[in-house]
Amino acid sequence: MKQYLNWRSALLLLLLALSLQSCLGFGGNNGNSNFKTTNTGSGQIGVNQGNQIVFNGKIYFTIGHRLWVLDGTRNLHQLTGGKTAVRDPAISPDGKWIAFDAVSKNSSDLVYISVNGGKMHMLRSGNGSYYYKGQFVHSSSTWNVQPAWSADSSHLLFLSDFEKEDWYSYTGIDAPLLDLQAFSIPLSNPSAVQDVAYAYFGDGGNRDPSYRPGHPDQIIYTHYAYDVTRTQQLVQLFMENPNAIASYPRGHYYPGEPGFDPGVAITPPTIECIESAFSPDGNSIAYIKRIGVDQMGLYVMPTPENITSSPNSSTVAKKALLPYKQSSLIIKGQFISQPFWSPDGKQIAYLSYNNQSFDIWLATVTIDPKTGRYVMKGSPVQLTNGGIDGDSRPVWTA
Amino acid sequence: MALNQEFMQRAPQQGNGYQPEQNPSPADWLLAGPQPGVSPAQDRPSAPAPRPPGSGLLSNWKAGALRYGNNGGNVSPPPIAERNTPQPQPAPRPGIDYPGNGLKNTPGPLPLYQQASMPPAMFLSPQQQPVPTSMPVQYPGVAGPYQQPQPGFPMPGPVTVPGQQAWYQPGMPPLMPMPVQPQVGARPGPGFKPQHHKKSRFPVWARVALAVMALLLAGTGGVAGYYYVNLSAPISGIVNQQVPRLRGDDDPNQGRGTGGSILGGGRINILLLGSDTDEKFQGTYLAQTDIVVTIDPATKQVAMLSIPRDFWINVPGSGMHKLDEAYALGGVALSRLTIAQDFGIHINYYAWVGLDGFVKVISTVNGVDVDVLHPITDDNYPDDVGNHTTDIYKYRRLYIAPGPQHLSGQQALQYVRSRHADLVGDFGRSARQQQILTQLKNKLNNPGVIGELPQLAQDLAGYVKTDMQLNQVFDLMRLARNINTSNIQRVTLGPPYSQSGTGPNGQSVVFPNCALVVPVIAKMFGSTANASCNIAANGNTSSLASTQASPGTNALAQTASNGVLQTAGQMVNVSTMSLNGGGSDWLGIHSLLDLLFLVVFESPDAVQA
Repeated sequence: MKQYLNWRSALLLLLLALSLQSCLGFGGNNGNSNFKTTNTGSGQIGVNQGNQIVFNGKIYFTIGHRLWVLDGTRNLHQLTGGKTAVRDPAISPDGKWIAFDAVSKNSSDLVYISVNGGKMHMLRSGNGSYYYKGQFVHSSSTWNVQPAWSADSSHLLFLSDFEKEDWYSYTGIDAPLLDLQAFSIPLSNPSAVQDVAYAYFGDGGNRDPSYRPGHPDQIIYTHYAYDVTRTQQLVQLFMENPNAIASYPRGHYYPGEPGFDPGVAITPPTIECIESAFSPDGNSIAYIKRIGVDQMGLYVMPTPENITSSPNSSTVAKKALLPYKQSSLIIKGQFISQPFWSPDGKQIAYLSYNNQSFDIWLATVTIDPKTGRYVMKGSPVQLTNGGIDGDSRPVWTA
Repeated sequence: MALNQEFMQRAPQQGNGYQPEQNPSPADWLLAGPQPGVSPAQDRPSAPAPRPPGSGLLSNWKAGALRYGNNGGNVSPPPIAERNTPQPQPAPRPGIDYPGNGLKNTPGPLPLYQQASMPPAMFLSPQQQPVPTSMPVQYPGVAGPYQQPQPGFPMPGPVTVPGQQAWYQPGMPPLMPMPVQPQVGARPGPGFKPQHHKKSRFPVWARVALAVMALLLAGTGGVAGYYYVNLSAPISGIVNQQVPRLRGDDDPNQGRGTGGSILGGGRINILLLGSDTDEKFQGTYLAQTDIVVTIDPATKQVAMLSIPRDFWINVPGSGMHKLDEAYALGGVALSRLTIAQDFGIHINYYAWVGLDGFVKVISTVNGVDVDVLHPITDDNYPDDVGNHTTDIYKYRRLYIAPGPQHLSGQQALQYVRSRHADLVGDFGRSARQQQILTQLKNKLNNPGVIGELPQLAQDLAGYVKTDMQLNQVFDLMRLARNINTSNIQRVTLGPPYSQSGTGPNGQSVVFPNCALVVPVIAKMFGSTANASCNIAANGNTSSLASTQASPGTNALAQTASNGVLQTAGQMVNVSTMSLNGGGSDWLGIHSLLDLLFLVVFESPDAVQA
């Protein structure tokens, strides 16, 4: 007797197979078929091998606070290991050195190594201990984070709280100033620290310092402060002459001193803007704006010109805010962060939060001839999958 | 995911006859928070109403049926029992004729019932019997062609091709009983209209479907059984943890009945205790959080009284101590008695939470991802991890960078506890706590968390204890989720109700201002409190009841009268109640987690995040 599977049975079995497939997670396709995975030790990271993604040079970032490098051929290599927790890699413009934070439980050191690997060189040590000062417990340990190279690779900007015990008499506040401030050091003499940008007690301090390419007398950073009522936090981008404090006519300027502040706000106080990055030519600034709850956007604005020489002028203060109004939105999402430019200025890489991980995406950008503003060409492309460290600033070199 | 959803829907069916919802509504978790993947344009949450700096937990540092015969419902097939029972048939008579063949003594049409029990002709014998193709096979009671039992599928009869014969498939079990009716000598005559025998046929595809559904059902039931068995054990160690009352601590629950609705009687007072349970305390915990929640079920009015942990008061039987030390000295029993004797507040129920449970929950869901609002710096954060010394004042330094990032359980706790770099103090911390809770609940609301339920239950076990039953916790949390928190009266007995000072040993303490405290208590607690402020030591160290609770964690529940099965039953009830109410409280875990958050964050806002 001939037996056959009629079409109804076949259809039923097909539906059952599909439902089981989804139940068991087989054949799941989240678009990761082009991603080549590498074991990172703390998980796996995928790198997009598709032809639609093209980039040249090398991108440095951290995974599990180990330093990795990804080159344009999509090869991924681990550069550091062991117990050293790495954050914020910065490549010297001459292509020789990588500076980064080496973080421990109670402190962090500023170190650098050759791009070819090898021994770590100490620039600033954060090592210290707890001690009693009267009835209060203090710590001599310090944080040293977020190095940024000058254009000639001779100096480094960085953030630290190493002056936390130095301001009692000047400020009249009986507490250490724990909020990180901006400093610079020459590579040849890391002990010769120069004050660059101050913070104030309890405000949060500074973040994301960097020199403006082609303008060694200009830097940018994110500044956290409170308004005059001391109840509303202000998060703004500031530009400044890194030598302004050192050159202050009175010879001394302390945190919170009224009347003089070398920093000039280039974003308004009503909008929280963070994580700025100069374009390679220094004429544009990519930054992150907090649009709303769980909504952030990557924007590009022109760099304000001629504002750092007269920082306390009201006219300059107004002028400095004008380019912000020419900002153009590149991309937005729940969590968009850590923008960094390609060496040729044609792409902006950033971190985007998808599938519960922070990964690198690439956006090809161009200047609209009609508006003169940056716009994105096409759609952004995901470069990594699996998650990199969101609290560590990546960098892209040639 | 389809299997999990099915599990979520099927679980309440066991024994309850519950009809699952086809599309469960979004969990109550996300009443105000953003949905993952959605980018709502919302303003930042406004800061909660100002409260004096608390001294609570987070601020501590010195944290198928098959239907046979789809006949459109015209005639129901007979019950299985009757189908399986051979039907009595008229005695066989030779020469059974059919109407129209001219013979006499035709038996006439069979009674309707028997007609319904007769299978189609092809099932009359195990031998293959050809069936004229002009005569489609019929099921009993079906007026039209054969209808296959599986609804939703097109149901013509067996395929018959003109000129071909439809054959019975040997070995196929008949649906209908085999009638005892010989066909000896029966021949069709002219004008023959054969009586359609009610043969049953169970096609291959239906058997496959039945087998798969049975497999899924068995698997689902097995999974459900696994969860009930494996979750009820840890949950039974969380709820119904009765603590004997010390003399002087009158039980206001007498007459209320146990296990009934917690909101079914008069005003109730619930003591919330929270302890920093990190390693440095080595099992002897203080109660950094001491909050009494009072609820008037009639009016649904809720009030919360926060008593500073450093209140310098009389701990019965131990003399003058800080309030948080009462817990270390005598656990829940002594904390309860202290509040009863010193302030006249009678406690109906308690809930104790260990802060490490919060950390474990976050770790179980693999941390949370948040946008850290501003840098967090702290040189004197309590060193909670890896501190095996007895120094409870050991510190560590803290620096959390701002911006979107992943936070582990410990990092999340650091983020919500730290107060430095936050001049706005409690306002800033509240915003950060809201962030963590929203992201945490996003993860807990993910259907994939079903697989983590056993671990979540284990996370809570040992770090959450209450003398309430599970269904009482559920009722309480349901109230907390739905209440308008702006209507909650919150009083913290800080200034002007107290003032800071120094204790006899030089320790920093807080002295109650009784003249202001008593009226507050009287107003908040009504008749359930003999509002008082008996904070002075009475010098009688033997005033304790005969039953002395032992300190540390052993001072918690002395008896766990809930068996595992009893707890499992409560889990079923809670799940049912939740789903009936449009929620998704899987086995009561949701409510227990909310209880944890309520105490850790000292606010019902945490439940509503």
